[in-house]
Amino acid sequence: MTSLAWERRRGSAARFWKTYRSHRAGLYGLAGLALIALLAVTAPLTVGADVQSVTNAPGTALEPPSAEFPLGTDQFGRSLLGLLVWGARISLLVGLLAAVLSVAIGTLVGVLAGHYGGWLSTVVMRITDWFLVMPTLVLAIVLATVMSRSMWTVVLAIGVTSWPTTARLVRAQTIAVESRPYIERATALGGGHRHVMARHVLPNVMPLVLAQTTLGISTAILTEATLAFLGLGDPTVVSWGGMLQDAREAGAVSSGHWWYLAPPGIAIALVALAFTLCGRAVESVLNPRLGVGR
Amino acid sequence: MVMVTKVPSRPLPRRPRRTARLLLAAGLTTASLAALPATTAAAGDEKSGGTTLTVAVSQSIDSLSPFLAQKLTSTSIHRLAYEYLTNYDAKDARTVPAFATEWSASADKLTWTYRIREDSTWSDGKPATAEDAAWTFNKMMTDPNAATANGSFTANFAQVTAPDPRTLVIRLKKPQATMTALDVPIVPKHVWEKVGDFSKFNNDRQFPIVGNGPFVITDYKVDQYIRLKPNKTFWRGAPKFDELVFKYYKDGDAAVAALQKGEVSFVPNLTPAQAAALKTQKDIKVNDAPGRRFYALATNPGARAQDGKTFGNGHPALLDPAVRRALFLSVDRATLVDRVFQGHAVEGEGYIPPRFGSYFWKPEGAQKRSYDPAAAAKALDAAGYRKNGEGKRLGKDGRPLVFRILCHATDPNDKAVGKYLQEWWGELGIGLTVECMDSVSDPWVKGDYDLAFDGWSVNPDPDYVLSIHTCGTLPATPKDTGATDNFICDEEFDSLYAQQAVEYDTAKRADLVKRMQSRLYDTGYMNVMAYPNALEAYRTDQIASITTMPEAAGNLWGQDGYWSWWSAVPAASSPSSGDGSGSSSTGVAIGIGVAVAAVAGGLLLLRTRRRATADDRE
Repeated sequence: MTSLAWERRRGSAARFWKTYRSHRAGLYGLAGLALIALLAVTAPLTVGADVQSVTNAPGTALEPPSAEFPLGTDQFGRSLLGLLVWGARISLLVGLLAAVLSVAIGTLVGVLAGHYGGWLSTVVMRITDWFLVMPTLVLAIVLATVMSRSMWTVVLAIGVTSWPTTARLVRAQTIAVESRPYIERATALGGGHRHVMARHVLPNVMPLVLAQTTLGISTAILTEATLAFLGLGDPTVVSWGGMLQDAREAGAVSSGHWWYLAPPGIAIALVALAFTLCGRAVESVLNPRLGVGR
Repeated sequence: MVMVTKVPSRPLPRRPRRTARLLLAAGLTTASLAALPATTAAAGDEKSGGTTLTVAVSQSIDSLSPFLAQKLTSTSIHRLAYEYLTNYDAKDARTVPAFATEWSASADKLTWTYRIREDSTWSDGKPATAEDAAWTFNKMMTDPNAATANGSFTANFAQVTAPDPRTLVIRLKKPQATMTALDVPIVPKHVWEKVGDFSKFNNDRQFPIVGNGPFVITDYKVDQYIRLKPNKTFWRGAPKFDELVFKYYKDGDAAVAALQKGEVSFVPNLTPAQAAALKTQKDIKVNDAPGRRFYALATNPGARAQDGKTFGNGHPALLDPAVRRALFLSVDRATLVDRVFQGHAVEGEGYIPPRFGSYFWKPEGAQKRSYDPAAAAKALDAAGYRKNGEGKRLGKDGRPLVFRILCHATDPNDKAVGKYLQEWWGELGIGLTVECMDSVSDPWVKGDYDLAFDGWSVNPDPDYVLSIHTCGTLPATPKDTGATDNFICDEEFDSLYAQQAVEYDTAKRADLVKRMQSRLYDTGYMNVMAYPNALEAYRTDQIASITTMPEAAGNLWGQDGYWSWWSAVPAASSPSSGDGSGSSSTGVAIGIGVAVAAVAGGLLLLRTRRRATADDRE
């Protein structure tokens, strides 16, 4: 790597940021994400792991919001505000990991299918189509049911069910990139399959992958919450979807304990919204053809 | 009667729709709130004219055949549709006449003669006679498929005959103490003798189902409803309601919402929060009665079959009484009653709930395992399980002790107690993995568990719940399924069980039953944590009066008899659905739900717009 290459990269990063800044919604999303991430990362210092403890719970069951417990307490007498902050860690972590896994599978499948083409592409794309038409949630529920209940199961269940969109997008982009003349020149100069895929195709599909990841995170967080709400998550870890499930099991809906239900639901919606805003901004920055004013 | 209550299964509502996914999660609160009016509206009142008593239930029917049914909902319905030889009094659960009016035993206690009542007729008009009872018992004795549910009652029968239509004679191989508590529904011979394979016949094809109980089953749709009409010719008098409907609500909150709107008259199995909220509402009475269930921790004593082969993968450390003792010593039952059940339970002691006063036993003094974590740690140290540098207790193989516990994913109490156990045992240095499953019976039957949450409803006659801990109920081979609860096989317990089974003197039998509980306690395989209360609610503007069992502070759902629904009197006011008396707090919740829906809607919009852009890509 020459210093020239670094210079060029720094330049393009600066250009990226300059354009990104012009998307106001994207900035709001980024600010929201930064705030939530900060809360989640500093949770061990602010609320502490003790907030999950049922034996040392400070309050009584299902207290309404008060000065001591701004969001009230759950059925064990734990502070819901503390649990909400602590739950952000699992919700964000699972969302990130699942999205990364899903995009990684999608990219691999897409690049391979787009590059080799032929019967491999046909076979792989038919499998992709199959996953595409299967409702993700049903498949994820099946996976989460048959495997043992843990956070990793949920990550895996979301990851292996939500990759087909990425695979299709990446394959299309790969085909487009490979039809450009410089790929032909690289091949003529002796570049093998691996060289073309890793050095020429991958850097060109990376922007797409990045945008897809950002957008995928919000979907993954929502799916995680759904699975946890349906009781398929790990019941021993605190997550937002799990809090909703706990609330439902405690009968909070019919007994009108809104402070137990509303905050996790709103938190999920806000985080998903923030990731979507960021993802859209990134997408339109990296793909000028999408236009600016949207 | 078996009254299996290992899991009152309540499958999750699943609405798998791709477009709904985003909304489902983002507006989860909305989804659950919005679901309530939808379900209840769909389940609205069926027929105007006549009084209908609607009961919300969640547990599925395993079978409507009395020869197969084991679940609480099914057996409760059979109580309504068929007569049993004897019944239990609503006041104090003593045996009272039912299909039999009187009975006597011969001097050698081996021949029992029952006088069958003359005023009982089947709902198709044919008279119900001793011949029907004899046929029912003989079928169970000769066809193993007909003995699935209640075979334990007839296993000791030598011969059953009906010398005349009013006399039933049962000859026993050896004396049997449960002869006045034979919880076996008597079926009409002229209908059932046409049945071929008893293992496959579920009695749910032809309606109305012929019976001679206070109600007649007229219709049944799987997991939707069971409809019953009163039997006008019932000898004790016809029930007062014109119709009894058991309607399915798989979601507890939906059932409570339906009760609030007046669409159902009765809801069982409330959570403490629901009970507290319903208590303050007009026209609703919450019944909080001592339950007939125990809720326990069971440890795998090394699963084995009657052929002597052991199987399963139970943790070897749990075979050490010191380890089990330490685990149980660090369970604070008072806290569980206080926190998890929020006072709606009684602290666990022996085995049989205190409600059955004559059989209730509790450990005293040195025998009792009180909450004492320090003693627990000491016991482990003394037994050679020491802590390593990280504070983890090491097993005999030098690896940290980590146990698994089987938990019913459908039971919130299991998960809640699991959280406490993790923390209490964590203090001891012992890890705990909570394995929650929709159906625990697979690993349970295979012996693939270390610990498990266990619970049974107890009948006025304790024979059955005691029998499930005898060696005789172990599976014949590792491949079979036995009636055993937890693979416990103890010689001393077995010999006491055999003694009580033949003891006709009630005081002496009660004493034996207490000694059995003491022995079971000392084996240290089970820790009864609580006796949960029956927490249920009904609408007083639909039900004017209803009999609890026992009459003073008793339960309504899952009684040992048909008393509650038979005795229910309709209120003077209209039985049709009242105006929805949604409380203000529900209003607030719905308001918030709407707000969340708005946010989610926005998200959905964003997403669709993004989709549009993605389609334009090359």
